[in-house]
Amino acid sequence: MSVLRAFDVTKWYDDLEVLRGVTFDVEPGQVKVIIGPSGSGKSTLLRCLALLEEPDRGEVTLEGRRPGPGEVGMVFQRFNLFQNMTALENVMCGLVEVKRLPKAEAREQATAFLDRVGLANRASQYPDELSGGQQQRVAIARALVMKPKAMLFDEATSALDVELVREVLDVMESLARDGMTMVVVTHEMRFAHHAASSVLMMDEGRIVEEAPPDEFFSAPKEERTQRFLALVE
Amino acid sequence: MLASFDSHLFWSALTSGPYWRGALTALELTAASLATAIVIGFFAALGALSERRGIRGLTWTYNWLFRATPTLLQLFFIWYALPQLWSGFASSWFTPFMAAWIALSLNEGAYMSEIIRAGLMSVDPGQELAGRALGMSRRRILRRVIVPQAVRIAIPPTGNEFITLLKLTSLASVISLHEILTASQELSAVKFQYTEPLLAALVYYLAIVSLLMVLQSRLERRYTFTSAGRGRRRRRVAPAAVPAISHDAR
Repeated sequence: MSVLRAFDVTKWYDDLEVLRGVTFDVEPGQVKVIIGPSGSGKSTLLRCLALLEEPDRGEVTLEGRRPGPGEVGMVFQRFNLFQNMTALENVMCGLVEVKRLPKAEAREQATAFLDRVGLANRASQYPDELSGGQQQRVAIARALVMKPKAMLFDEATSALDVELVREVLDVMESLARDGMTMVVVTHEMRFAHHAASSVLMMDEGRIVEEAPPDEFFSAPKEERTQRFLALVE
Repeated sequence: MLASFDSHLFWSALTSGPYWRGALTALELTAASLATAIVIGFFAALGALSERRGIRGLTWTYNWLFRATPTLLQLFFIWYALPQLWSGFASSWFTPFMAAWIALSLNEGAYMSEIIRAGLMSVDPGQELAGRALGMSRRRILRRVIVPQAVRIAIPPTGNEFITLLKLTSLASVISLHEILTASQELSAVKFQYTEPLLAALVYYLAIVSLLMVLQSRLERRYTFTSAGRGRRRRRVAPAAVPAISHDAR
């Protein structure tokens, strides 16, 4: 039983076919890690799943229907926290502006989620005043507070200094342990190794190979995967 | 040389009714025109950034028309030609103040649209993306996320526009609006003295602009998005590029 499903998703940018009929299913509580070279269509696939891009062909469904606002959470490489809002206001924003909760209630829920990512003490600070790792954790809380059915991570640690990567991966791993359904585009092979339910290799707009991490890393079947792993590991 | 300076005349000019009322009129006209121009400019900026070609063309034409022609000509056109073209304007409500308000708003709206467009474009596209990922509508993203950040960028050039506009109100003396310059001219005509009446007018302009500068720095602080720095620290964010606009020959 899949919760999030991409069926035959195809996307063109002008003359370039970025996604060539991608079909894949994510089951509840699964963590799918997508790897692949840049330009392989990983980010575009996530954007289609988050409805930030409309596929030219095919469809994205959540529990068999089109996802509603906030139901698929997205975390970006560059955090994209609202610069004019404090950490707390960022997390409250979706509750107030989309779910139309009263401010007091939104504040209460948002505080709980800031606490969950370990940043309750930074509530009144603006993005400019937080480290990259802290900003990314606020961004995760901002998505989580909407009670998403699935979370998408688009290279969430790629813009971070090495010593800040860990705190974000910790949050992601704890989410995975708690049973969150996740699709993670990353270059962090260690994360893929021990947090993924399955690992997908993408190249030229297609899924080349999909396998559980042990199998994927120790005995990749496809020549393309072998070549890629040889480069990154 | 200064022997001929009549300080009594200077002080009586400074405190006289026509000067006060003139200054108030100039301030009112400036504030009303700028407020209207910001509204016009906001929609014109959205129009200029629109995906629809027709709307872009329309805003382009508006900007072109009002920036390429002299403000004085626009003022004359609205005061003298408009009532001839449209009888609705040939009536008592159409005062010099009204005419000046319409002319300056339309004129200034074209300049403001460029400033606001620059402000909107300076906001990182990732901000809109994040809003959409949360499920916010375009309009809400604009109102809650993009506009507040654009305001910060637009404040300094808008302060410039206020000052320009204040000085442009003196143009309205030619359509018999009683503003500061009119007061000084009338006084000069009676006293056959120019220095004191003009100096008094100058003091009023300086006072109004000083007031504005205080207001502007307060506003800038309000739109500074740091917690500790609000009111104290200068922003680290570099000002976005704003199209250079010459004020010399409007």
